[in-house]
Amino acid sequence: MPLKWILHWQPNAGTTVNSQILTEVSQCAESINGTKDGRWKSTITYYKPMSRDPNAPGEYPRDFLGISLQEQPNKYYCIIRGQKIVLEADSSIQMIMEKLQSYKSRVSLNFEGFQYKLGDFKVRVGKVVVSHNESLRGIVMEVEYLPISSLEKSRQIMEEFVDIWQETISRKSLPGHFMHIDTNFTEYGLSDHYSSQHTAVQYATVMAQLLATVRS
Amino acid sequence: MECVVQGIIEAQHVDALEILLQGLCGVPKERLRIHELCLKSGANLGTVSSEVRLLCDLEQPVPTWTVRHVGGAMKGAGAEQISVLVRTMLESKVSKNALRFFYALGYKLDHELLRVGFAFHFQRGARITVTVTSANKMLKLHATEEAVQVTPGIQLVEVTAPAAADNYHDVVAAVSSFCEYLAPLLHLSKPGISTGVVPTAAAAATSLMSTTGGKAL
Repeated sequence: MPLKWILHWQPNAGTTVNSQILTEVSQCAESINGTKDGRWKSTITYYKPMSRDPNAPGEYPRDFLGISLQEQPNKYYCIIRGQKIVLEADSSIQMIMEKLQSYKSRVSLNFEGFQYKLGDFKVRVGKVVVSHNESLRGIVMEVEYLPISSLEKSRQIMEEFVDIWQETISRKSLPGHFMHIDTNFTEYGLSDHYSSQHTAVQYATVMAQLLATVRS
Repeated sequence: MECVVQGIIEAQHVDALEILLQGLCGVPKERLRIHELCLKSGANLGTVSSEVRLLCDLEQPVPTWTVRHVGGAMKGAGAEQISVLVRTMLESKVSKNALRFFYALGYKLDHELLRVGFAFHFQRGARITVTVTSANKMLKLHATEEAVQVTPGIQLVEVTAPAAADNYHDVVAAVSSFCEYLAPLLHLSKPGISTGVVPTAAAAATSLMSTTGGKAL
């Protein structure tokens, strides 16, 4: 499958993200001849362990992430970041987790916006919002390169595209920039050949970064 | 949810059962070799203790994994009166690291089994699956190549069919009706209710084997 890089908006120190930035970023996609090509949405849900005795120690992680991706509507991805595990499952795993009553879904974040077609690339720009609450928590973008599935072989062209994108954004003098975190997929047991599990891992990385930004 | 009945059959009559099932089905059996791992929630995990099964299909060229959760049986006077168990059952195909994932979540291995046998699928008022398997235990952890039979001479027969809240009456009827075909060879009842082997099994098996010359149809 085509590979993707997922980038997030890193506000300058002392500034916060706002919907005006999202509008301007979307305009940038159009200004480099991107044609609007429908909407996209991904969702991350935090699952927290439930314990019979909150004071007793338990051998389990603090949380795990459940991720649904538009590219695989019948699949669900579970990630335990501390142990670098990504599990690919059918969507029904969500109902199984509910029945087990060992972990409870606490909060969901939606990543949603528009996708743009630019030749061999697809760019998706969207907002990060807590479900049932429209306030903006962040901005993310996906850059998908359609012809290649190898992370290594596509690295140069992806870097070049991101450079052009950053240059376009910088002309707007916005208070921040897009950031790409190079994820170590090998730690998760994933190969160079791109899959939706790679996408899920990138979302988990971006999520951690967004939380760190909010906290700081 | 699913409808389920179970029964046991002596290993010597399994060939006859296979002939009967193949005659009813019309297509060859599907071989089964399933490594089943039963996991239970660790101490203090979850508001209640929970159990989940990981099934690894070893018959596939590349083994595939499934998570299965079997819930409680339907209760009430209506459920008591029917001869088929109706229970919630959820499954999800998962990647091969499912065991590591559940260990990391705080689940522990309770026991593991290797089920070896065959299955037939039918469309008779419902999507009915019949499995005939022997249960094998591993002498060493996960050593499926060195498994030994738990009950030599006896195999488990399970008849299941997926159902939903709005059609389980029809599915129960379809399963009950299907069980009548197998009645000469074995008793099928709700899981946990042991009815043993049937006295007519030997005669029925002999009859089946003689009409087909002892070969699968």
